[in-house]
Amino acid sequence: MNYYKLPAGVQDVLPEEYYNLSLLSRRLEEKFRLAGCRFVQSSALEYYDTFAEIRNRIPQRTMFKMTDGDGALLVLRPDMTLAVSRIAATKLKDEKARLAYIGEIWNNSEATGNLSQREILQAGVEFLGEEGAFSDARIIAFAVECMQAAGLSDFTVDVGHVGFFKGLLSGAGLSESLTERIRVAINAKDSIGATMLLKESGVGGRAAEAVQALPSLFGGEEVFARAEKLTDDPTALAAIAHLRKVHRLLKRFGCENYVSFDLGAVKSLSYYSGIVFTGLTKALGAAVLSGGRYDRLADDFGKHIPAVGFAMGLKRILIALERDGKVCTPPPPYAVIVAGPGAEAEAYAEYLRLTADGKTADLWTGGYEDGLAYAKRKSPEVILVATEKGVEKI
Amino acid sequence: MISVALAKGRLANESAELLEKCGVDASVVFSDTRKLVLESPDKKFSFFLVKPADVPTYVEYGIADLGIVGKDTLLEHEKDLYEMLDLKFEPCRLCVAGYPEKKELLTNPHLRVATKYVHTARKLYAERGEEVEIIPLNGSIELAPVTGLSDVIFDVVQTGGTLRANGLVVLEEVFDISARLVVNKVSLKTKAGEILPLIDKMREIVG
Repeated sequence: MNYYKLPAGVQDVLPEEYYNLSLLSRRLEEKFRLAGCRFVQSSALEYYDTFAEIRNRIPQRTMFKMTDGDGALLVLRPDMTLAVSRIAATKLKDEKARLAYIGEIWNNSEATGNLSQREILQAGVEFLGEEGAFSDARIIAFAVECMQAAGLSDFTVDVGHVGFFKGLLSGAGLSESLTERIRVAINAKDSIGATMLLKESGVGGRAAEAVQALPSLFGGEEVFARAEKLTDDPTALAAIAHLRKVHRLLKRFGCENYVSFDLGAVKSLSYYSGIVFTGLTKALGAAVLSGGRYDRLADDFGKHIPAVGFAMGLKRILIALERDGKVCTPPPPYAVIVAGPGAEAEAYAEYLRLTADGKTADLWTGGYEDGLAYAKRKSPEVILVATEKGVEKI
Repeated sequence: MISVALAKGRLANESAELLEKCGVDASVVFSDTRKLVLESPDKKFSFFLVKPADVPTYVEYGIADLGIVGKDTLLEHEKDLYEMLDLKFEPCRLCVAGYPEKKELLTNPHLRVATKYVHTARKLYAERGEEVEIIPLNGSIELAPVTGLSDVIFDVVQTGGTLRANGLVVLEEVFDISARLVVNKVSLKTKAGEILPLIDKMREIVG
């Protein structure tokens, strides 16, 4: 057993990466704060039932499980939005709130679409208590702002609406599991698979044609007109009308150039209830931001709270930034202070003076000669040598 | 530049022929070279020739924007990517095959299934609620029932020649298999201007 190695899918963050990671998370934290968000932190340990005994349960196999002293099953937090919903429904006095978080989730699955990460650091927001086109356009615009604040260029926020898919199949009387299989095929743009499932389920005519067209319904605002021609279903048409409203607002906000639409992006129906969106950047083959509207998520925790939000994967963003040449090396300290014989107190006093001034000062506490060599390696702006007479630059 | 992962062998050649018909200069794919990354002369495309099972991986991670690979490989590896087109070449079937009559053995309550599609077989039998013993093999699958290693096999059948020569028959055709065009989920959106017209041309040609 190599106890000094790490299990698969987790990593240590070394100083150079940490420096960039903390720059990134501070930029996002500031962005969230300026938008009126208040931060919450939830425990990494939660009860299994919180995530399994709800309508939109997290697949049991993907959770890290352990048992509590009393035999209750515990998990490592598998989803931040559910944790925040639980907090909002059970602990907040005012459920109209703008909440933000930076924290990890754990996903115990093999490397499928996760870039091999089992411990995923996310920064995200949940806007609770509002609904409607303004609310949806605002969160999409905020996602655009955050992608920019993260330093990404050449990105798009790709927007869909689960109501369109739901509406198309609402009249067909399909079982939940069959609907789910069709959804998975559509979400993978697998029109062949979807066609076979539709045949199996006996859905024909216009509904089948419309579902088969879904994988190609992406692009700019022109997809709305194409979609409207496919169906008379009121739920489906209402979804398009809503997206049109959202799009008009995004245009007036001046961020329509960062937005595209995909009606075939149908994320989990038990989780999402309206718009869904994904942040994509050219530098990385996987989404760096994922979000949507989940108005029924808090119902299981005892309160109905309309909610919309998103989470950003900090590691993925960092990979994209590095590929774009946008990471930097941590700066050297302003000063390295080396103490001469008997001048420990003078050296320490100099360190206090500099750091009180907001300057980085690295106080060497080993031997004098070693200290000079160490100082040269660190290439600070100044090397200071403390003696009993005072402090000298060399 | 658009990068394309192709499955080494006959599939790569057929894929390159299709790409040529779509106006892509894929001549480098036919060249006899030991280079791993092949660039088209106009620098618009680069091609990676990899093992079939690795095509979905390259596309999922976005290292390749596009890939062409058999549906059997996609079923077995279940990657997060867009499966956009049935290219209809390399058609075959994923079948359960064995002796026409199963030899009942007292000591074998579970059907023993030899296959190189371990994941697909597990999923298939789990969906049907049948308990089976999956025996993973890497080649010459037909040898397993002949030698008594398994009761049946789960494998691709093209002509059925090997089966017939060994007294085996297809017991059940489970999936129709053919080459598929797969696309990275992000590339489809961020390189739509280059990728979408190519997909449209391919769709026109394969019909």
